[in-house]
Amino acid sequence: MTVSSYDEVELGDELPEERPDVSMDRVKLFCQAADHHFDRFTDHDKAREQGFAGAIVPGIMSQGMLAAMIHRWAPGSTIHKIDTVFRGTLIVDSELVVSGAVTDADDDTRVVEVDLTIVGEDGRAGVIGTAMVSFPS
Amino acid sequence: MSETSNAVDIAAVRERWVGVEFDWTTFTMDPEKMVAWAQACGESDARFIDRDHPDFQAHPSFTTHCMSARMLPEEFPEIGSGFGIDGGKSAEVHAPIRSGDVLTAVTTIADIFDKTGRSGTMIFIVQRMDFTNQKSELVSTVDWKMIKAA
Repeated sequence: MTVSSYDEVELGDELPEERPDVSMDRVKLFCQAADHHFDRFTDHDKAREQGFAGAIVPGIMSQGMLAAMIHRWAPGSTIHKIDTVFRGTLIVDSELVVSGAVTDADDDTRVVEVDLTIVGEDGRAGVIGTAMVSFPS
Repeated sequence: MSETSNAVDIAAVRERWVGVEFDWTTFTMDPEKMVAWAQACGESDARFIDRDHPDFQAHPSFTTHCMSARMLPEEFPEIGSGFGIDGGKSAEVHAPIRSGDVLTAVTTIADIFDKTGRSGTMIFIVQRMDFTNQKSELVSTVDWKMIKAA
């Protein structure tokens, strides 16, 4: 379900869950675009040598995936702020679940607050956050 | 707040360093990287992946990849132990960032504080980068939380 205006949003509304592509190929594309050249993101073996379970998804990539989810839920919307806490690592080539829910709505500014989560295959939330979103109308 | 010398040190460091500008770095917004970033994040909104879109702009958190030349100010004291971990980032969008924009980022320490929980006392250092474009318009603010064990 998508929303196109502030008036269509209700507290508690859940954004459609997504399972983003965090394959090694995709993560490498991100790292190239971000000039983020660290082998903990692009090499499973090197990441394990550094103590990780495998190559890890860059935190700022996970933030971008959350923004993309918001844009699909609310086409044409504007994200004024997105704030994420990196609670744990998310592993490249794994299945992640990205979700969100509306937790506040300001009738004066017509801005909604969305709580955001990315859960890894181990069932733990690797990333949590919030975003402030306004709509075209 | 604990009553150890760490608490006193943090307060003194906070007073000395919060708000002090310590890095100025320029970044040019490359449209190819803007598109590649958005696509890699799974974006489907044409505003961020189609260079010919009339409202083409950088993804909201695109500036989070821009690194200051220094993480902390020169002469910033050693507080806490170890190198620290990345606690997360926030990106605030003040205005769209357009293809070819030349952004100047001014870096400061926005906050320093400690919290005590099950893992013990952790020290949080928030580095802030304020980005202005070539018209001196503020377009983005990125806060980065570094976490160190006390």
